[in-house]
Amino acid sequence: MGRNLDLTQALIEAERCLYCYDAPCEKACPAHVPIPEFIQSIRTGNLKGSMELITLANPSIGVCGEVCPEEQFCQSVCTRSAIDYPIKIRELHKFVTDNVKLTDLELQLPPLNGKKVAIIGGGPAGLACARELRRFGVKPVIFEKKELGGIPAQEISKERLPYNIVREEAKQILTLFGAEVKDKKISDLQDLLGEFDAIFVATGLTEELELDIKGVNLQNVHTARKLLKTIKSSLRTDVGKRVGVIGGGNVAVEVAAALKREDPSRDVEVVYRRGLKELKAFKDEIDEALELGVGFQFLAIPVEIKGENSVEGLVVRRARLGAPDESGRRVFEEVEGSDFFIPYTDIVIAIGQKAQEIFPEIKKTHNGLIEVNENFETSVKGVFAGGDIVRGASTIVESVSDGKKAAIAILQYLQGGKNV
Amino acid sequence: MFKKVDLSIDFLGIHLDSPFVLSAAPPTDELEMAEHGLEEGWAGVILKTTSVEGNPVELKNPMMSSFGPMSRKVVGLGNIDLISHHHIDVVSSRVEYLKKKFPNKMIAASIMGASKEDWQNLVYRLKKAGADLIECSFSCPQGSMGEEPGKMLAQSIEATEKVTRWVKEAADTTPVLIKITPQVTDIVEVAKAVKRGGADGITASNTIPSLLGVDIYTFEPYPSLFGSGAYSGLSGPAIKPITLRTIAEIAKNVDIVISGNGGAFNWRDAVEFMAVGASNVQFCTLPMHYGFRSIRDLKSGFEHYLKEMGFKSPSEIVGKALKNIKNQEDLVNPKTRSDIDLDRCIGCGLCYAACNDGGHMAISFDSKTRKPYVNEEKCTGCAMCMQVCPVDAIKMKEVLDSNEYYFVERR
Ligand SMILES: Cc1cc2nc3c(=O)[nH]c(=O)nc-3n(C[C@H](O)[C@H](O)[C@H](O)COP(=O)(O)O)c2cc1C
Ligand code: SF4
Ligand code: SF4
Ligand code: SF4
Repeated sequence: MGRNLDLTQALIEAERCLYCYDAPCEKACPAHVPIPEFIQSIRTGNLKGSMELITLANPSIGVCGEVCPEEQFCQSVCTRSAIDYPIKIRELHKFVTDNVKLTDLELQLPPLNGKKVAIIGGGPAGLACARELRRFGVKPVIFEKKELGGIPAQEISKERLPYNIVREEAKQILTLFGAEVKDKKISDLQDLLGEFDAIFVATGLTEELELDIKGVNLQNVHTARKLLKTIKSSLRTDVGKRVGVIGGGNVAVEVAAALKREDPSRDVEVVYRRGLKELKAFKDEIDEALELGVGFQFLAIPVEIKGENSVEGLVVRRARLGAPDESGRRVFEEVEGSDFFIPYTDIVIAIGQKAQEIFPEIKKTHNGLIEVNENFETSVKGVFAGGDIVRGASTIVESVSDGKKAAIAILQYLQGGKNV
Repeated sequence: MFKKVDLSIDFLGIHLDSPFVLSAAPPTDELEMAEHGLEEGWAGVILKTTSVEGNPVELKNPMMSSFGPMSRKVVGLGNIDLISHHHIDVVSSRVEYLKKKFPNKMIAASIMGASKEDWQNLVYRLKKAGADLIECSFSCPQGSMGEEPGKMLAQSIEATEKVTRWVKEAADTTPVLIKITPQVTDIVEVAKAVKRGGADGITASNTIPSLLGVDIYTFEPYPSLFGSGAYSGLSGPAIKPITLRTIAEIAKNVDIVISGNGGAFNWRDAVEFMAVGASNVQFCTLPMHYGFRSIRDLKSGFEHYLKEMGFKSPSEIVGKALKNIKNQEDLVNPKTRSDIDLDRCIGCGLCYAACNDGGHMAISFDSKTRKPYVNEEKCTGCAMCMQVCPVDAIKMKEVLDSNEYYFVERR
C-alpha cells in the first residue's frame, strides 16, 4: 500500500532524517527498530547493512513495511515534525526490504543445542518467537492448523498486503531458520510438555464477538472475518448491493473497503456508534476506504435487523457523544425516540474478536485472554504466551515484539529451568 | 545472526580491528571521550595534540563555524581551535590508562613542539607511557613552527626533514607519522622530506586554512568574536577532493605508508581514500557531527562492500585506483554525446539552463511538453547537463565500433 520510493526519492527522504541522538522514533517502535541507524545506512548506500539492522529487530519486516500503522508508532513522534513533517519511516523501511532480500545476506546460526520449544500458532508472534529461538540454538516447532502467517496471511486484503510477502516471510522462518511445522490441533498441554522444553502459546483471537440484537440470525447477516477470508482466497462473496458494516475498528473499515473493491457499484456503509474522531481504525485505512467511496453512518446505534428470511434493513438509533471515559474516548449516549430505518441487503458484523476457549489449566482474564507476567509466563510452568491472545486485538508489530521478547524469556527459562 | 567479514589490518606493525581511527581532535581530547569512542568500536585513537608544560594554549571561543545547505547540515566545518590544553603529563597518563584498558586498540598520541628538546622530550615521555604510535602535527593552521610565526612546519621542506629526524631519533622503534598540510606548492617534495627524515608514514592531511564566511550586513568574519575573526581550519566533506588528490600524489610518487585524513564522512569516502593509497583512515568531523555511533555504519557499509567485491581484506584495495590516475594529456578522447532518458526526465529544464548558459548551447527545451532535446551536432559531450539533472536522467554516450559506451559518474 505504501508508495514505492525509488533510489533518488529514498535518498532525499533519508537526507531529511536528523539522525537524532536519543531517537524517539526508535522508542515508539514496538520492535525497537534502530531507525536513525538504518536510515543513516540508506544514506551511505549501505542497503544490506540497513536490512541487517531492520531484520534483526523485526522478524516480520516485509509485512510491517506494508501495513504497520506508522502514524500510531514511530512517525507520530518524529523530531523532524518540529521543522516540517515527519520522516516517512515506513516507506524507507519498505524501500530497504523491497531492494534487499534476507537471502542476499549471509546468515550464521549457532548449532542446535538440543532444546526444543513448541509454538502453538503460526501468526506474527509465533513466527517471530520461532526465529528468535533458532537464532540462539533452540529448535522451534510450530503447531498450526491453518496457513502460516496468521491474520496478515488470511485476512488482510491483498491490495493492502501482497500475499507473496507474507508467504515469503513465513517460508524463510522455515527454510532459513529451520523451524518445523506440524498440522495438529493441540488440546493437551501436558502431552507437549513431555516432549518439549517449553511452550509458547500464540493462537491469536479466532472467535468473533456476537451482536446481541434482534435479527442477527437472518440470512445475509455475515461475519467480517469470514468475508475477508473469502475475498483473500480470491473467491467472490455473495454479498448484495447495499451493505451495512457494523463496527468501528480496523476490521470493519477493512471489510467495507474490500466489499467496495470487489464491486464498486455496491453501496457500502460503516455503521458506528461514535464519530470520526473516535473511529479506532488506522488513519490510512480510513483514507483509503473514503477514497474507494465507502460511506459512514456515524453516531448510529444498531437496534434491530429487519427482515423476513433475508435482511431488509437496519433500525438505528441516534447517539450523541458525552463526556470522555477514563481512556479519554468520549462515551456515547442514546437519543430516545430517534430510531430510523436504513434499507440494506446485507449486514456485516465487525465488532471485534474474542479468545476461543482453550487450555483450561491456564489462568485467564475476565475477557478470556491469557494472563501472563512481565516475562510472558502463564500460570502453568514452562508455558509462555504472547500476541493477541494476551493483548486482545492489537497490531502485527506488537505481536512480533511479544514473540521476540518471549523468546528471550524462554531462553532464560531454559537456562535456569528444571529441564536444563 | 549475520556472517561478519574480518576488517582487521596491520598498520605499521600495529593491529587495527578496522582501518577506522579517531584523529587528533576534540573527540579524543578528554579521557572519557576516547574511552567512549573505543567502546563504540573505533579501532584506535590519536589523542589530541599535546605539548610540553611550558607551552601556553589559550583557546578562544566560540571556535567553530560551518557552512552547508539550507537543511543546516554541516558540509564544511571551520575551527579556530589550537592544540590540546592538556599537557604531556596528563596525556601520557591517559595513554598508560587506555593501553591497559584497551590492549587490542591502537592508542596513539599527537605532539607539537618548538625546539629539538621539546619534540624529543615529548616522544620519550609518550614512549615510556606505552604509546603505540606518535603522530607529529606539522600542520595546525593556527599553530606555528616556532622560528617562523604563522607558518606551518610542513610548509618548509628543510624544517620538515630536520624535525622529522629529531622525532624519529627519539622514537626509535615506535612508529612515527608526520601530519602534513595540503597548503603547499609541491606536496611530493614535502613527502620526500618526511621520508628522508626517517618517519614511518605520513598523515595526509589536516584541516585547510580558510575563511568560513563574512556577515554581509556587519562585515564580521565567522566565527565572530565581538566583531573580529580569524582564518579557520576547514574540515569535513568540503575538503575530501583536496585530500584525495593529496593522498594520490604522495602515493604515486613516494614509497611511504599513508594514513588518510580530511573529509572522509562515510565508508564510501574511506574506500576512496584507500583506493588512492591510504592504508587506514582517520575521522574527526564525522564523529563531531553525529557522534561515535557513526562507526557502526562505517564498518557495516565497508564490510558489505568488501564482500560484494570479493575482497578478502581491506588492504587489498589500497592503491587500486592509482594506475588509473593520469595526466589530462594522456587520456583518450571519447566522442561522447548527451543522452537524455525522457521517461525519467521530470522537465525541470536545468540541463537546458546549464547547457545554454554554461555548456555548448546544444539543448533545446520544448515548453509545451516540458522536455529537453539534444542537438547532436552542437553537443560536445562536456557532461555539464549530467551534473545538474536532479533525477539522473542524463548519461554521456559514445558509439565506438558499433558498441555503446556510457559515462554516468555524477558525484
Ligand atoms: C576543532 C578541531 C580541532 C582539531 N585539533 C587538532 C589537533 O589538535 N591536532 C591535529 O593534528 N589535528 C587537529 N584537527 C584536525 C583533525 O585531526 C583532522 O585532521 C581534520 O579535522 C580533518 O579530518 P575530518 O575532515 O575527518 O574532520 C582538529 C580538527 C578540528 C575540527
Ligand atoms: S525522530 Fe525522525 S528525524 Fe529523528 S531519527 Fe527518527 S526518523 Fe530521523
Ligand atoms: S557543543 Fe557543548 S560545549 Fe560546545 S557550546 Fe554546545 S553545549 Fe557548549
Ligand atoms: S535536468 Fe534532467 S529532469 Fe531536468 S529537464 Fe534536463 S533531463 Fe529532464
